[in-house]
Amino acid sequence: MVSRLALRPLNVDEGVQASSNTAPSASGIPAQDAAGALSIHGLSKTYRIENRQIPVLADINLSIRAGHFVCIVGPSGCGKSTLLRLIAGLDKEYSGGIFLDGKRIASPSLDRGIVFQDHRLFPWLRLQENIALALLNHDYSKAEKNRRVSDYIRLVKLAGFEKAYPHQLSGGMAQRAAIARALVNEPKVLLLDEPLGALDALTRVYLQKELQRIWLERRGTMIMVTHDVDEALFLGDEIIIMDAHPGRIKHIVDIPLPHPRDRASSVLQGIRLEILEELISIPPEPDRIK
Amino acid sequence: MRSRLISWAWGLLTPVLLAFLWEFFSRRSIAHAYAFVPVADIWRSFWELAGNGDLALNLWATLRSALLGLSIGTLLGISVGASMGIIKTADVLIGPIYHMVRQVPLLGWIPLIGLWFGTGVFSKNLIVAMAVFYPMALHTYEGIRNVEKPYLEVGEIFRFGRWQRFVHVLLPNAWPYIFTGFSNALAFAWVATVGSELLFATGPGLGALMLIAQSASRMDVVIVCIVTIGIIGCLMNFGIGKIRKWFLGWHCAH
Repeated sequence: MVSRLALRPLNVDEGVQASSNTAPSASGIPAQDAAGALSIHGLSKTYRIENRQIPVLADINLSIRAGHFVCIVGPSGCGKSTLLRLIAGLDKEYSGGIFLDGKRIASPSLDRGIVFQDHRLFPWLRLQENIALALLNHDYSKAEKNRRVSDYIRLVKLAGFEKAYPHQLSGGMAQRAAIARALVNEPKVLLLDEPLGALDALTRVYLQKELQRIWLERRGTMIMVTHDVDEALFLGDEIIIMDAHPGRIKHIVDIPLPHPRDRASSVLQGIRLEILEELISIPPEPDRIK
Repeated sequence: MRSRLISWAWGLLTPVLLAFLWEFFSRRSIAHAYAFVPVADIWRSFWELAGNGDLALNLWATLRSALLGLSIGTLLGISVGASMGIIKTADVLIGPIYHMVRQVPLLGWIPLIGLWFGTGVFSKNLIVAMAVFYPMALHTYEGIRNVEKPYLEVGEIFRFGRWQRFVHVLLPNAWPYIFTGFSNALAFAWVATVGSELLFATGPGLGALMLIAQSASRMDVVIVCIVTIGIIGCLMNFGIGKIRKWFLGWHCAH
């Protein structure tokens, strides 16, 4: 299929460029510095199921500029969540290379935060304790830790709920708390694995805006896996479209519009139709292994 | 509040009816009156025992013995259960023997324990500690093993070390299980304490008092002991429920 989309070559040597329009921070949280560029070279990953090698990701080459918001869309089974887990360092078996600011990723690190579809707050801890636990392995003073925790609770607009237990929060609030917990370490890269996928439509739209506000305030790199093309169009500087069996990159689409965006913009609608058409063209396989 | 009072009142109905039935039997003949001591006699001997300090002395001895066994058994049970849950080698080494020994009823150990350690305080405490140890170890193990992988991953993301993972993920996750184990253990401890006093019959204790009363044909005292044991056990159960609610509030509503 010949696409009219603006394709960007997969150039791994692309320079590290920070976004120049760093917004002044309203919450007292400093905007991220230039670091946070991610490059992936020849990344492949296979699962072994009953002595059969099942390729999940094949030859992924990708370069994500620092401070960019990148969305990954694709049919289920295309390995997009696996890709995110590899970047997080949760999954260590792969071939090829993943580099953050030139350093190879081999394990989880506090410079990469992640938010999952389920909030994963510890049910036995109050909101502020949950967020404070993320700072356990930082040697900040107690006062500094407290300050950071309350800063980030304010950033996600949960002030007043510090003492609440996760079960007392709504789904959207819990997910905001999870975002605060992932951000309190001030990671260079925030990975978002369908963070809004389990929320109702209204909450989702609200949190998309919130996510954008947070991103504009901090300007860190964000990589989001999503099923929702509209979400990707609203948030992403670029959208990576993945193909399945094995998972590989099909396209990278640049969205050259400034933020915040008008969802009804005709440019977005045009790109939207193209992406949907492209996603539909990927044949679903009846017996795929998750 | 009102409905709770009403349900309380209904809960009292059965014991009151049983008391009437009891009294009915005790009035049928002299022989009946021996087996079913008249309620008035029981009441009188309760005041007698309470007045001369016998009840307090024996109750205290039983409570102390139960608490001691409970503490030792709980500490050991949690340690062993947690070790088996966390360290694979410990699970492989201790697991099979633990599950085998657990199948032996506590009463089955009495002859051996009596032979090895005599019939004194140590043997009694040992039996209670064993009764507590099994459920504590089992539930702690389950609690640690049943931790959900997503929570472990959160720990990985924040670079928790082994100890941090234990303190901040595994142990809190296991608390509700440990508490359930403890509720069971509390009941077992109470039963095992009275049982060990009945079997070894040395030193003070409600069980020992019952034996003495039985040999002196004082069925009224036996009944007072039985009722006391029941009421104290009931209170313990009520107390642990309250503590659980307070301590594991996050879990009750979870």
